[in-house]
Amino acid sequence: MSVKEVLVYPDSRLKEHCNPIVNFDESVQQLLQNLVDTMVEAGHSVGIAAPQIGDLRRAAVVDVSKSKLGKKQENHGLLQMVNPEITEREGNQVVREGCMSVPDYTGNVTRSESIVVQFVDQNQQFQVVRAEGFEAVAIQHELDHLDGFLFLDRVSSLKTDLFRRKTKKTS
Amino acid sequence: MQHFALTIIGRDRPGIVSQVTEILFHDGFNIADSSCSILGGQFSMILIISNPEISKVEEFSDTFKPLEEHNLSVFIRTLKPGGEVRTEMEGELCMISVYGADKPGIVYQVAKELGERHINITDLNTKLIGETGKLVYVMMLEAMLPENTEIEDIETWMQALKQKLQVDISVRSLATMEL
Repeated sequence: MSVKEVLVYPDSRLKEHCNPIVNFDESVQQLLQNLVDTMVEAGHSVGIAAPQIGDLRRAAVVDVSKSKLGKKQENHGLLQMVNPEITEREGNQVVREGCMSVPDYTGNVTRSESIVVQFVDQNQQFQVVRAEGFEAVAIQHELDHLDGFLFLDRVSSLKTDLFRRKTKKTS
Repeated sequence: MQHFALTIIGRDRPGIVSQVTEILFHDGFNIADSSCSILGGQFSMILIISNPEISKVEEFSDTFKPLEEHNLSVFIRTLKPGGEVRTEMEGELCMISVYGADKPGIVYQVAKELGERHINITDLNTKLIGETGKLVYVMMLEAMLPENTEIEDIETWMQALKQKLQVDISVRSLATMEL
C-alpha cells in the first residue's frame, strides 16, 4: 500500500498503449491498492489509471461518490477495474475535464452520456456495470489513459477551452 | 524576464498568423499565451511574448514595421513584472447565456450586475446573428463565482434583468471534473 507519484505530461509513459493483465497475481492487487491510495491522497481526484503512476498495465480505479458533482447522481462508489472495456455507449454530454497528469488546464470534452463497462474487479469477479453522467465521464477518461489518450486529444470546441484550472488545495 | 502584450489586427486573409509568427520566430521571441480570432471581418491576435535578450519595447518595435505595411495595426504593451501570470482564482465557474432582440446595453447591464458583486468574468463572446430587422444578440459569458455565491443567486439577479431587457438568460454550472 503506497501513494505513488503521479506522472505528468510530457512523460512518454502517458502516451503508451497499456497491456492486458493475464495473471491476476499479488502484484495486481498491489497495483489496485496503490491506485486507490494515490487517488485518495490527491483529494480532489475521482479516478486514476495505472499509466499515471508509471505502470503500463490495463487497470484503473474510479470513485465519484465523494465528489461534489458525482454524489448528486447515482453511482457505484469505488470501482476497481482490471482489463476494463466499454461495450455500449449512448448519448452525448459535454463536460469540462481536468487531469492530474496535465496540470493547470481544463477542456470541454464530449463523452457518452451512458456506458456499459465490463471488467474484472479486485476480487477477480467479472463485472458488467452501467454507468451514467459523471461516473460515465470518469470511466471514459480513465480508460482513455490505458490507450495513451489524454483529454487534450478529445477537446471538443476551439474557443475558451483551455484555461487555467482553479487552484488546487495542497494537503 | 520582461514580457510584452502584442496586439495585431487587420482585415482577415490567409497568411496573417504565419507573417506575424515568422517575425517572432526569427527574432527569438517566445509566445507564452495567445488568443486569435476573427471579429467582424478583422483578424485579431493578442499574444503575450518574451525574449531573453530584450527588456525594452524600443529594442524591437521596428521589427513589426513590415506588418504595418501589410495593413495590419500593431500595438505593444510592456507588462509590469509578474503581469504575465494569471491571478489565482478560487471558486466555481459558471456559464451565462444571454440572447434576445438586439438593443443597446445588454452587455453593460449584465456585466454591471456581476461587477458590482465582484464576480470575475473570465471569458466573454458576443455575436449579432440573424437577418436585418430580426437581429438577435447572443452573449456567452464565463464567470468565476466567489465563495458563498451560488448558481441560484446569479439566476435570481438575472431574473430581474430578463424582464428589464426582454432577453432570455440561462445560467449553468461549468464545474470541472478533476480526474
